[in-house]
Amino acid sequence: MHELAPRIAAYLRGRLPQAAEIEVFDVERIHGGASRETYRLRLRYREDSQPIERRLILRRDPPGSLIETDRAIEFAAYRAFRDTTVPVPEALWLEDDPSHLDYPFFVMEELSGFDASPSNILLPPYAAHHEKLAQQKWSILGAIALADPEKLGLVGIMKPIAPADAWRRELDHWTGVIDEDELAPQPIIRAAIRYLRRNPPPAPARLHVVHGDYRTGNFLYDKEGCVRGILDWEMAHLGDPLEDLAWSLNRVWCWARDGRVGGLTSKEHAIRIWEASSGLRADPEALRWWELFSSVKGQAIWISSGCEYQNGKNKDPVLALSGWWLMNAQDRAALETLGKLG
Amino acid sequence: MKPEIPKVLEILAGTLLFDVAPHVSPSYRQSSVGVTALLLGIVREEWDRAAARRIEENSALRALFRDAVRAVSDTDLRRRLEAAAASSEASLLVSELERANDALRALLIELHAHVEQQTSPAAREVENAIWLELSASTERRRLSLAPF
Repeated sequence: MHELAPRIAAYLRGRLPQAAEIEVFDVERIHGGASRETYRLRLRYREDSQPIERRLILRRDPPGSLIETDRAIEFAAYRAFRDTTVPVPEALWLEDDPSHLDYPFFVMEELSGFDASPSNILLPPYAAHHEKLAQQKWSILGAIALADPEKLGLVGIMKPIAPADAWRRELDHWTGVIDEDELAPQPIIRAAIRYLRRNPPPAPARLHVVHGDYRTGNFLYDKEGCVRGILDWEMAHLGDPLEDLAWSLNRVWCWARDGRVGGLTSKEHAIRIWEASSGLRADPEALRWWELFSSVKGQAIWISSGCEYQNGKNKDPVLALSGWWLMNAQDRAALETLGKLG
Repeated sequence: MKPEIPKVLEILAGTLLFDVAPHVSPSYRQSSVGVTALLLGIVREEWDRAAARRIEENSALRALFRDAVRAVSDTDLRRRLEAAAASSEASLLVSELERANDALRALLIELHAHVEQQTSPAAREVENAIWLELSASTERRRLSLAPF
C-alpha cells in the first residue's frame, strides 16, 4: 500500500462526512504537469448503503518544482470551465493546510482511459486523426479566448491588469525567472527580451483567460481522435489571447520534427481554426511578438528546471532533460522568429 | 579509455530503456528510467564534441570582439573587449573552457546591447556579425534528437 493512501483516506473522511467505509487504494504517482506531484488513486465508500467508487487525481505541491504557481488558480480554472465547451475534469477539493499530506494539494476527477502523450499521438491509431485533433485542439483554445473571465468568476482569483499592460507583466515575470535562475549567459534570449521591450504589441480589446501552457501533451485524447480533457492550468492568468495561440505554435512542440505545430497540422491551418472559433483575428505582427515571447517564456522554464536540478531541490531527471533537450531548440526558435536563423 | 565512452553510454542507455524500464513500477519510476536513458544518450552525443565546440566558439567570440572594438564608443567596454580578444584558453579542461565561454558570452550580451544603440554603419556590421555567431552557436549545440 502506498504510504499516502491512509492519509488521503483520513482527509476524505473529513470531506465526506456522509460517507461510510471510505477506502483509498491503487495510489500511484504519475507524470503530469510541471509544477506538482501528481497521483492517481481510487476512492471507494458507501453512501446511503450504496457502494460508490471514483477514480481521482491528487496534485500535491512538491518541495521543488519546474514552475512556481498558485494551486488556487489552477483549481479555480478547472471549476470555471466545468460545464462549458472546454472539456475539463471536475475539481473536487482544494486543501491549503499542509498538515494532511505534508504539502498543500487539490483533488479532482480522473478522466481515465485516454492518452496525453505528445509522442504517442504521432503513432497509430492516433496518427490517422491528426486533422480532427487539430480542429478540436485549436477550436477549444478559441473557446477559451472567447470566454468572459468576469462571468466565469475568475477575475480576482486571477489578477486583473490593464489590457495594454498584459504583455509587460508577462515579460517582466519571465525575465525575472531568467534573472534569478540562469546558470549561464543567454545572449539570444537577452537579445529577444530587448527586442520585445523596444517593439511592444498592440493591446487586446479586453482581458481574456490565458491557459498558459496550451500544447500537445497537456490535453487528453482518445483513439477516435476526440479531445477529452484540457489539463495543466497551473499557469493560467488573465491577458492577451495571442499568448496562448503563440505558445501552442511554439517550435519546440513540433514533436514530429517536420514543422507541423503540436505534431498535428500546419501553423497557418491552426491559426485559421483558432480565428474561426474565437472570432478574433491573429494580427501577424502581434502574433509574431507573442511567438518571440513564447521563446523567452519557454527558455525561462527550461532554465528554471535546470537550476532546480542543479541545486538538488528536485532530482526528477525530466528537469535535467528539459534543460538539455529544449534550451538550444528554444534558442533556434527565437532566432527563427527574429529572422536570424542561418 | 576502452571500451570507448560513447559505446559504454550507448549500451547503458539501451539496457535501461529496453531491459530495465519494462520491469520497473510504478509508471512514474518507469518513465524516470526512460528519461535517464535519454540523458545518457545526450551525454554520449555531447562527450566527443564538448571541448571542440567550446574551443571553436571561444575563438570565434575573441575574433568577433577584435573586429568589434572599432564600433564601440564606450571606453570601459572597449577595454574589456580588447582584453577578452587578447585572451587565450588557460586550460583545455571542459570545465575551464566552459568558464571562459560563460565570460565571453556575458561580454557578448553587453556588446550586442551596446551596438543596438549605435547608428553607425560599423555598428550595423558588428550587429550582423553577432547574429551570425549566435546562429552558428545553436548549430554547435544542436542535438540529433531535438525537436527543432
